[in-house]
Amino acid sequence: MEKQPTPPRWADRFLGWFLPSELYEELLGDLHEQFGFQAEELGVQQAHWMYFFEVIRFCRPYFLKRRFRTDTKYSTSYTYSPAMIRNYFKIAFRNLLKHKSYSVVNIMGLAIGLAAAILMLLYVKDDLSYDKFHSQSPHIYRIVSDWYHPDGSLGHRDGLSSNLQGPLFKEKIPEIKEFVRYSSGFRDIRAKGDVKSFEMIYTDSNFFSVFDFPLLMGNPKTALTKPNSVVISEEMALTFFNSTEVVGKTLEISSNNQFSPYQITGVAKKSPQNSSIKFDFLLPKFVNPEETVGSEWWLNFSFHTFVLLTPNANVENVVRKMKQINETDAAQANKILVDKYEIKDKVVFNLQPLQDIHLSTDLPAQYGLVDANNPTYGYILSAIALFILLIACINFVNLTVARSLKRAKEIGVRKVVGSSRKQLVGQFLGESFLLSLIAFVFAILLVQLILPTFNLFANKSLSISYLFDAQILLGYALIFILTSFLAGLYPAIVLSGYSPVKALYKQMAFSGKNYLQKLLIVVQFGLASLLILVTLSFYAQFNFLISKDLGYDDSHTIVVEKWDLTKRTAEVLKEELLKNPNILQVAPKNGEHWEDVGKINGNQKIQFGLGIIDEEFLPLYKIPLVEGRNFSKDFPADSAQSVIVNQTFVKAANWTHPLGQVISYPFNDGRKLKIVGVIKDYHYQALNNKIKPQLFVMQSTGFGSLNVKIKPNTEIKALAYIEKTFKKLFPINAFAYKFKDLENQKQYESEEKWKKILLLGAFLTIFISCIGLFGLATLSTEQRTKEVGIRKVLGASAASITALLSQDFIKVVALSFMVSFPIAYYSVSEWLQNYPYRIEIGVIDFVLTALITIMVALATVSFQTIKASLMNPVKSLKSE
Amino acid sequence: MGRSYLGEFEELVLLTVAVLEGTAYGVTIAAELKQRMNNRLISLSGVHIALYRLEEKGFVVSELGGATSERGGRRKRFFRITALGKRTLAEMRQVRNELWDAIPNPSFS
Repeated sequence: MEKQPTPPRWADRFLGWFLPSELYEELLGDLHEQFGFQAEELGVQQAHWMYFFEVIRFCRPYFLKRRFRTDTKYSTSYTYSPAMIRNYFKIAFRNLLKHKSYSVVNIMGLAIGLAAAILMLLYVKDDLSYDKFHSQSPHIYRIVSDWYHPDGSLGHRDGLSSNLQGPLFKEKIPEIKEFVRYSSGFRDIRAKGDVKSFEMIYTDSNFFSVFDFPLLMGNPKTALTKPNSVVISEEMALTFFNSTEVVGKTLEISSNNQFSPYQITGVAKKSPQNSSIKFDFLLPKFVNPEETVGSEWWLNFSFHTFVLLTPNANVENVVRKMKQINETDAAQANKILVDKYEIKDKVVFNLQPLQDIHLSTDLPAQYGLVDANNPTYGYILSAIALFILLIACINFVNLTVARSLKRAKEIGVRKVVGSSRKQLVGQFLGESFLLSLIAFVFAILLVQLILPTFNLFANKSLSISYLFDAQILLGYALIFILTSFLAGLYPAIVLSGYSPVKALYKQMAFSGKNYLQKLLIVVQFGLASLLILVTLSFYAQFNFLISKDLGYDDSHTIVVEKWDLTKRTAEVLKEELLKNPNILQVAPKNGEHWEDVGKINGNQKIQFGLGIIDEEFLPLYKIPLVEGRNFSKDFPADSAQSVIVNQTFVKAANWTHPLGQVISYPFNDGRKLKIVGVIKDYHYQALNNKIKPQLFVMQSTGFGSLNVKIKPNTEIKALAYIEKTFKKLFPINAFAYKFKDLENQKQYESEEKWKKILLLGAFLTIFISCIGLFGLATLSTEQRTKEVGIRKVLGASAASITALLSQDFIKVVALSFMVSFPIAYYSVSEWLQNYPYRIEIGVIDFVLTALITIMVALATVSFQTIKASLMNPVKSLKSE
Repeated sequence: MGRSYLGEFEELVLLTVAVLEGTAYGVTIAAELKQRMNNRLISLSGVHIALYRLEEKGFVVSELGGATSERGGRRKRFFRITALGKRTLAEMRQVRNELWDAIPNPSFS
C-alpha cells in the first residue's frame, strides 16, 4: 500500500493543546481530510504550507473562549462530567465496602500516621512559637556573656548579667531603647495563718511596656513603681481572695525574716502557654546605690537583662559597642576580676534574641525563665512521626498495588470503553484522596483523644485548635496532600498502565518477583526494628540510671530546706529533732551546687564542688572513707583547718599520698586547709553529670539544708514532728522538704517521659507495619488458594503449608534487620555519648529486637496462613 | 427585529448546509463554497466557527457521524438546517427580492 502523506505532527499537537477537547476530533478530522485533497491536487509540499496556514488561522479567540466554557453543547469531556464523577465515587465506595478489612487496614494505618504527623506539627509549632506573642518580640534581646580563655578560645557562655549592664548600655548606646532586669527568688506569703513559699519575680517598672502581659486590673505604667507593691496573677488572686478585683488589697510577704504588707497594684492575665516568662508574683526591683560600674558589682551576674532595640538597629553594631564599653567603662571592675578572683578569662557581652531562648542549649531558659526545651526532642519526635506516616503510606502503596489485580478487569473495561490514562490516574489519585480524607477525619479525632496523654508525656499543654492560624492550617493541608500523593501516585501510575488486552483476556499476575513490594516491606520493618532497638536501649539506659548504685544511701532521708540556717540554730534544731525516737540522724549541709576554685600543689588551680557539713553527714549517707578519717568532735581543730576530698579530687590533683596535702581557696580567704580524709566517689549529682572533684569543710557560719534520717515506715509521724519542731523554731519560715530518694528519681523525669514517647512510637510503627503485612498476607494467600489446594491433595501437611506461606514474609523481615541494625547501632551509641555513665549496647538487645519483630510479624502473617492451610482443598479447588 | 443577526458569511454557510442536505460537514461545506465562489479563499476555521455560531443561534443542528476508516478514524460532525434556519433564509430572500423589485431603474443589472 502506498504510504499516505500526513500533515506535520507538531501542528496537530499544537492544535490539541489549543482547541477545546470536545471539538478536537472533528476539526482535526476535517483538517486531515482537506490535507488529503490538497496533497493530491497541489502536491505534498504545497499541502504542507496550506495546512500550516490553516492551523495558524485556527488560532482564534473563539476556540480559546470555548475551551473554558463548561456548558457547551456537545461536551464529551468524561473526566469532568457529573455522571462520571458520580461513577467514580460510587465505585470508590463500593470498593471500600466490598473489601472491608482492606479498607479498615488502610484507613486505620493512614489515620495513625496522620495523627502522628499532626501531633508533631503541633509540638514543633508550639516550640517555635515561644515568646513570639510580644508585639516587640523581634527587637527584644537578652544580654549574655561569653567568657574567653586567655588563649582566645571560648570557655563558657552565661545567660545572666549584673544589675549594671542594662543601665550603662542604655545610656551609651542609642539603639537600646529600654532595658528590663529580671530575676526570681522564693519568698514566703502568710495568709490565713498559713505560711507558704512562692517563686516571685523581681523586675523593673517598664516590664509591661517591653513585654505584652495584659493586666486585668491596675495600671501597667505605675504598677511596679512603688516599693512594697506587687502584681499578682489571676490564679493567685483567686486562690487568696476568691476574686480578681483585688487591686488595693494587701498580701503579707516576707522580707528579711519578717512579714510586711505589700499592696496589690495589678492583676495579670495568666501568662501565655508559650512564654518563657511565667509569673505569679511580680515585685518591683530596687538596686542598692552602692552598686557602681567600677566596683565588683559589675560582675555580680545574677539577673537577666532584656534590652529592647530600635526596630532598625544593627545587632552586630550594638554588640561591638557593648564590647567597647565593657573594656573602657568597666576596666576597673574587670581588673578586680583578675586581681582578686584570679580569673583570667575575658568577658565579652553579647545579645541573644528573646525568641531563641526557648530552644537554646548553651544559653537555656533557666533561673526564673521556664520551659527550656532541647531541640533534639523536637527532632526525635519529628523523626518518629515521619517514620509512622511513611510506614502508613507504604502500607497504602503495597496494599493498593497488590489488590489491583482484582481491579484489573475494571481497568480493562474502562480503557476499552475509552478512558484515557490521564483519567484513570485521576480516578485512582482521587480514591487515595478520598481515603486520606476519611483517614484525616479519624486522625483528628485520634489526636483529640490522645492529646491529654501526649501533653503529659511531652510536658506541654497543646490542643488541636491551639495556635490555629493560616500557617498550621497550611501545615495540615500539606500533610494531607503529601500523604495522598505519596500513597496514591505510584499505584495510580501502575494501575492505569495495565494493558486492557492482558487485563481482560487472561488472569493478570505480577511478573517477576515484585521487588518493590519487598523493598517497601524491608523499609517498613527496618524502621520498626530501628525504633524497637532504640527503645530497648533507652529503657536499659534509663534503668541503669535509676538503679545504679549512687555510692551512698538515699533511703528514708528527708531534706529540709532553710537557706539561712546558722550554725547555732542548726544545733538547736538538731537537738530538738533527735528527741523523737523516729529520727535517727540529723546532718546539716550547705545548699546544692556550690562551686569554688582552689589552689593546690603550690599554684595549681582546681575547680571543685564545695560541701559544708558537720561530722554527721558522711555517716548519715553511709559514704565510705577510703583513706584517713571523718571530721570528728575529738579534733577541735577540724572546723578550722581540715578538709575531706573525694577520689576524683585526688586523681585530679595527681596525689599518691593525699593525706596531709594542703589547699586554699578564696571563699575561705585563702587560709590553708589540710586534707584529713578521702571519701569514695559518690554521685552527688544526676548521672548525666560526671563526678567532679569534691571538697568538704566543716567550718562555717551557716548551712542551707538539714538532712534527716528517719526510721523506715515512720514517714508520716516523723514528718509531722519535723514540721512541728521547725514551725516552733522558725515560725516565719515556710517548711519545705523533700525525700532524697524521690528527689533523685525526679532527676530523670525527662528521660522517663521520653521513654514513654519512644515506647509509644515503637509500638505504633510495629503496629502499622503489621497491619500492612496482614493485608498483604491476606491478598497473597487468596491468590495462592489453588496452589494450597493442590499441595494438600498431594499430601502436604497444614504445618508445612503454613511454613511455606509464611517464609516469604519472614525472609523479607529478616532482611530488613541487615539495613536497620547498623543504623541503630550507630545512632544509639551516638546518643549514649551524652551520658558519662552508660550501658554498653549488648548483642542481647539486637537478638531481642529481631525476636520481637519476627514474632510479631509471624503472628500477624500466621493468622492468614494457618487459615489458608486448614482450608478444605475440595472447596478451594472447586471454586472458580 | 426578533431574530438574531446573520452575517454575510454565515448566511452563505447556512445556504450551503441547506444545499448539501445531510452530507454537510466542515470539509464539504468549505469545498462547495470555494467551488461556487470562484476559488475565493475559504478557511476551514472560518467555516467551523460560522457553523458553531449558527448552531448556537439555532439555525442548524449537528450530530457526530460514525467512525470510518478515513481520516485516521476520526468522526465527522454533520450539520442540518433547522426549520428556523429555513424560515430565516426565506425571510432574508423575501427582503432582498422586495428590495430588488423596488429599484426604480433595473437596467444597471
